[in-house]
Amino acid sequence: MQKWAYTKRGYALAQSLSALKRRAWSSLSTLLVFGITMALPALIFFTADSLSRLGASTVSEESLTVYLKLQTSDLDGAELARSLSTQEAIRNTQFISRDEALAVFQQQANIQDALNVLGENPLPGAIVVFPTRQSLEADTIETLAKRLNALPEVDRVQYDLKWVKRLQSLLNLGRSIGWVLAGFLTLTALLVIGNTVRLELLRRQHELEVSHLLGAERSFLHRPMIYSGILFGFLGGLVACLISLVTLKWLGTASASLASLYSSSFTLGTPGPEQLFLVVAAATLLGLLGAIAALYQPSSHLLPNRR
Amino acid sequence: MIRFEHVSLEYTPGRFALRDVNFTLADGSFTFLTGHSGAGKSSLLKLITRLEKPTEGDISVDNIDYRSLKPRQEPQLRRQMGIVFQDNQLLHDRSVFDNVALPLIIGGYRLKDIQKRVNAALSRVALQHRAHDEPVLLSGGEQQRVGIARAVVAHPRVLLADEPTGNLDAQISAEIMQLLMQFSASGVTVLVATHDSGLLNTFNFPRLVLKQGRLSAQSVSAVNTGIQHQYHTEEQI
Ligand SMILES: Nc1ncnc2c1ncn2[C@@H]1O[C@H](COP(=O)(O)OP(=O)(O)O)[C@@H](O)[C@H]1O
Ligand SMILES: [Mg+2]
Repeated sequence: MQKWAYTKRGYALAQSLSALKRRAWSSLSTLLVFGITMALPALIFFTADSLSRLGASTVSEESLTVYLKLQTSDLDGAELARSLSTQEAIRNTQFISRDEALAVFQQQANIQDALNVLGENPLPGAIVVFPTRQSLEADTIETLAKRLNALPEVDRVQYDLKWVKRLQSLLNLGRSIGWVLAGFLTLTALLVIGNTVRLELLRRQHELEVSHLLGAERSFLHRPMIYSGILFGFLGGLVACLISLVTLKWLGTASASLASLYSSSFTLGTPGPEQLFLVVAAATLLGLLGAIAALYQPSSHLLPNRR
Repeated sequence: MIRFEHVSLEYTPGRFALRDVNFTLADGSFTFLTGHSGAGKSSLLKLITRLEKPTEGDISVDNIDYRSLKPRQEPQLRRQMGIVFQDNQLLHDRSVFDNVALPLIIGGYRLKDIQKRVNAALSRVALQHRAHDEPVLLSGGEQQRVGIARAVVAHPRVLLADEPTGNLDAQISAEIMQLLMQFSASGVTVLVATHDSGLLNTFNFPRLVLKQGRLSAQSVSAVNTGIQHQYHTEEQI
C-alpha cells in the first residue's frame, strides 16, 4: 500500500480505489450505466433554460390585430393606441394608419388596378397589440380580445389563439415529461449506485468481519463503501457531462434549423462551467446517498453483529 | 485480569451454552480452556470480546465492568485484546505486512509507529523476511504466526486464541505454543481454547474445563497466579 493508505481515511480511499481497479471492467460498465442514466437529466438541465427562452421569444412575437372601424380617424386611432398601451396586460401597441396599411398592402400585392377601380382606400386603420408575457396564457388573451372588441372604435379583433395554445401546451407537456423522466432516471442512478455498493459490501464481507473483530468502529467499516459511492457518483457525473456535451454538439445542427423555422435567434447553447459543476456535484451527492441507502437499509444483514 | 461471576449464556431460551461460570485469571497467567466440541469454549471467548452478551452474571476485564460498557465503547475494548483464530483469518488481498498493520490502522496509529511495531511483531514470530509476501505463499504454520503477530502488534493486555493449532501438525503446534508462552511471560494474560490432547499432554498449564457449558470440577477455580504446573489435576481430554 502507499504511505498515505496507512491512515483511517487513506485506508478507506485505498480500499475503494483498489476495488475499482481490481474489477475494472465491471466498474467501467457501472460507470457507463450511471453516466448514461444521468445524461438525460443533465441534458434537460442544460437545455431547460434555452427551451424556456424559445417559448418566451416565439410567443412574445404573438400579437392581436385590432381592426378599427372605417370612420375612425387617424387621430382617434393613434390616441386609442396610446391609451391601450398603458393598460394592464398590454406591453406595447403599434398604430397602423389607413395609409400605412395601404402602403404595406401595395408592396405585397400587385393590386393597383383593383384599387383604381374602387377609387378609395378600402383598408381600415389597425392597432397591433402586444400583450405582456404573463397574459399570454390562452385564457387571458381571450378575455383581452373580448375587452378590445367591446370598444366603440373597434370593428373586430383578430388573433391566432390556437397557435399560442398549441405551442404553450406543447412546451408545458414537454417540460413535465422531461422532469418526470429526469426524476425516474435520477432514481435509477441512485439504485445503480446502491446496488454497486451492496455488491461491494458482499465481496468485502470477510474483511469487514475481521476488521470488526480487531476493534474497528462502525465508521471505519462503512467508510470505504461511502468513498466508493462518492467515487462512482463523481466519475459517473463526469461521464454524464461528457455524454450530454457530445449530444448537444450533435443536436446543434438540428437546433439551428429549428431556430430558422421560428425565425428566432434560438440556440441550444453549451453549458457553462457552473452548470457542469452542478451536474457533477449532484451525481456525487447521488453516489453518497446510494451508498448510505445500501449501508443503512433496515434489512441489512451484511455487516457483522449489530446486537 | 479476567473475571467471570455466575455467568450464563443462552442463545435460545432454555438452551444454555454456558451456565453459572466462575473463574478469575490473573495478569500474565497462561490458561487452557478445554472441553469437547460444543462445550462452549468459543462462546466463552465471545463473551470476553463482547461479541456476545451474557444472559446472566458479571464479566470484567482489567477492572472494566462489562455491565457499564456502552455499545460504542466495545470497539475500543476489542482493540485492547489480541485474538488468534483457528483458521488465522488473514486477508489474502494484501501483504503480510499490511495484514499485521490492520489493527494499528484501525487504532489510528501514525505511519512511523505502524512501521516500527509491525516490524517488531514480525520479528518476534521470526517472519520479518516475509513481510512483503502474500499470505498464500506461506505455510500453515507461518500463516498462523502472522495471525499471532497481528494479534499482539498493538500490545494487548489480553491474548485470546481459539483453537490456534487446530489445523497444524504436532511440531508446528508446539512452536505456536512457545510463541504464546513468550507473550504470557511478558505480562499478557493468555487464554487458549483447545481440545488438542497432544497439546494438553505436552504443556502443563492450569485449565478451565467446560462440560456442556459448565466448568467441571477438574478446573482450576482459584485465582490463577500465573505460576505453572501448580494446579494440574485434570484427566485427559
Ligand atoms: N450463534 C449461536 N447461536 C445459537 N447457538 C450457538 C451459537 N454459537 C454456538 N451455539 C451453540 O452453543 C454451544 C457451544 O458452542 P461453542 O461455544 O461454539 O462450543 P465450542 O467452541 O466449545 O465447540 C453449542 O451447542 C452450539 O451449538
Ligand atoms: Mg469453538
